[in-house]
Amino acid sequence: MRKQRKLWVLMLVLAMVAAACGSDDTADTTSAPPAATTTTAAAGTDDTTTTTEAEMIPCSTSTPDGCAGTILLGAAVSETGRFSREGKDTRQGYGTWVDWLNEEYGGIKVGEDRYLVELIQYDDEGDADTAANLVERLITEDEVDFLLGPYSSGLTMGTSAIAERYDVLMVEGNGASETIFERGFQNIFAVLTPAGNYTQSAIKALADAGAETMVIAYEDTAFPTSVGAGAVKWAAEYGVEVLAEETYPLNVADVSAIMTKFRDLDPDIFVGGGHFNDALLFVRGAKEAGWTPKGMVITVGPSNPEFAAEVGVDANYIIGPTQWEASMSWSDEWFGTAAEFAARYEAKWGEKPSYQAAESTATGLALHLAIELAGSLDTDAVRQALRDLNVDTFYGPIDFDDTGKNAGKPMGAIQILDGATQVIAPAEASVADLVYPMPAWDER
Amino acid sequence: MQAIINGIMLGGFYAAMMLGFSVIWGVMGVINLAHGEFVMVGAYLTWLMSDGAGIDPFVAILLVFPIMFVFGYVLQRVLINRIVDRPHLVALLVTFGLSIIMANAVKLRYTATPRLTDTALSGVWSPYGGVTIPRTKTGILVVALLIMAGLYLFLHRTKLGKSIRAAAQNKQAARIVGIDVNKIYAITFGICIAITGVAGALISSTQAVFPFMGPPLTLRAFTITALAGLGSIPGALMGGITLGLVESFIGIYVEGIGTNLAIVASFALLWVILVTRPQGLFGGLRPAEEPQPL
Repeated sequence: MRKQRKLWVLMLVLAMVAAACGSDDTADTTSAPPAATTTTAAAGTDDTTTTTEAEMIPCSTSTPDGCAGTILLGAAVSETGRFSREGKDTRQGYGTWVDWLNEEYGGIKVGEDRYLVELIQYDDEGDADTAANLVERLITEDEVDFLLGPYSSGLTMGTSAIAERYDVLMVEGNGASETIFERGFQNIFAVLTPAGNYTQSAIKALADAGAETMVIAYEDTAFPTSVGAGAVKWAAEYGVEVLAEETYPLNVADVSAIMTKFRDLDPDIFVGGGHFNDALLFVRGAKEAGWTPKGMVITVGPSNPEFAAEVGVDANYIIGPTQWEASMSWSDEWFGTAAEFAARYEAKWGEKPSYQAAESTATGLALHLAIELAGSLDTDAVRQALRDLNVDTFYGPIDFDDTGKNAGKPMGAIQILDGATQVIAPAEASVADLVYPMPAWDER
Repeated sequence: MQAIINGIMLGGFYAAMMLGFSVIWGVMGVINLAHGEFVMVGAYLTWLMSDGAGIDPFVAILLVFPIMFVFGYVLQRVLINRIVDRPHLVALLVTFGLSIIMANAVKLRYTATPRLTDTALSGVWSPYGGVTIPRTKTGILVVALLIMAGLYLFLHRTKLGKSIRAAAQNKQAARIVGIDVNKIYAITFGICIAITGVAGALISSTQAVFPFMGPPLTLRAFTITALAGLGSIPGALMGGITLGLVESFIGIYVEGIGTNLAIVASFALLWVILVTRPQGLFGGLRPAEEPQPL
């Protein structure tokens, strides 16, 4: 009896600690031997192939004796855990850049020399502590020259602090939360539009279409909180009244309480800040509450082509902020137009690129261009070059401000129409007209 | 009113989801940390049938149940049977390992892309005055109640069910009167996994199905088991509904942070239950006096 009770208490304390940390049980595997969680080199290719390629491929015809060396890059990116989907996009995006650079472009030009790139990637399991440990290991044991970012703002927050401590540059494309850039760090650079601006184009388009009231729900973690705060700001800017703000915890399984509450307030627009799974819950939740807002703006989910495929007809008319779409008019001399990048990506990975994939490729490209601009692998020189960088790419303009944010790129918005994502804002990049208000769930 | 409806719907699902966890623990003394992963496998099976053959999730239950039963039965014979009489830590390690294997195997085969199934029930009834009854969740509640009633009758009215209860209460005595305890355990495990798989089928149309959805579900099953008592079916229902109502009321009536606070409240409730009634709200299969090997 007493032992039984002891066991109960022990298990419950464990359970509560796990819940309080907001982490998966998989976090417990951090003590597993390193080999178990290690994946190396470009996504999809293993360690050995990349190394062999590095030795076999001549860097450039301009340098007679081949490559001057290899630049070692490292990243902790989720392969398992709650960001496994977005992490896969990130890995494939990095892989697209690495393979293009090594096999087609012929290595990064540093002065007269050419350097190939090797990327070491570890699985952070979506866990902040694991990611921080892995980045420390990349710096101290693998001795990487530069870091690429993990997926998600939360993980970027922690890992960028490690990079700052060791004075190693981290270029990232998947941590959009403003708080990442408010710490005075010198070594973090992000190619993506910051989270506070995510909903700007969408709210403006909806306000122009006549929306007057709005409700917001977001997960209480770094990125969604920034999205929520930004949405409140843009609502005020465009004259939309915010009727309610709700937060919900990580790994939420049910949002019916939030949706019921919102339904009774009867706002014009619903704004949801979260990740892919939350987007599915919001759509099902609104339908189950018998509530059709006139417009639904949801981050991360809708812009991914998989979303419409899984949700089916209910996905139609949902609006999503997008960092990038293949139909946008950006182009560069390296990957061509956005559409050409998308074709290259699809040929390589067998699926269309999400914006997370595109921004990951752009992350590598930004570092690459900065190293070429600096003409050196020295951290200070490359940092200055990143700050000086001002280029147009297939992903959009890249122009870092003093905090490391990309100040040059506007955020787009898509609406799912007939199962396809169509850019509806900003006006200069749009390919379809906003449908507002959206039809009721049972009239589709 | 809406809060009550939401709470009961949520509770019904919780009850169906945790029943297998609770009964396995109650009968065999095995804490199954891979419980959430069995829900996940059931949900994936349903998705495969729904996506591949257009079978409605509520119909797919009829197929998921036998498939998961066989899966559970074989797994018990091959693996779980070896750990039943070992210390709890062994069971925890083995099932934890199992959870990692299952989650990653599914990820390798079907990628991490979240899936969702469609059901013909999708939509709502609006009887009066702004109250809505989600049809899918009503279906889930009905199936959950049927499962619980079925299991209750099975355990109390059939010979096999009585053997299971006998084995849970006193393994030695059960053996003496001629019950094949190993076989009973395998059948129990099979039934529990089948029920768990059906729970997975049920939620596949209300939330995202992905390889790593398991751990939060296991945690939730654990909470409700503590609330309800080991292996108690009425307890599972009442525990699930209690938790569902608490979450629903706080979620709806607290401004801004309601959904967050509901999680806090559910754990606070757990503390209270643990201190005042460590055997759970409704007692359970296993008598409290029985010594536990640690």
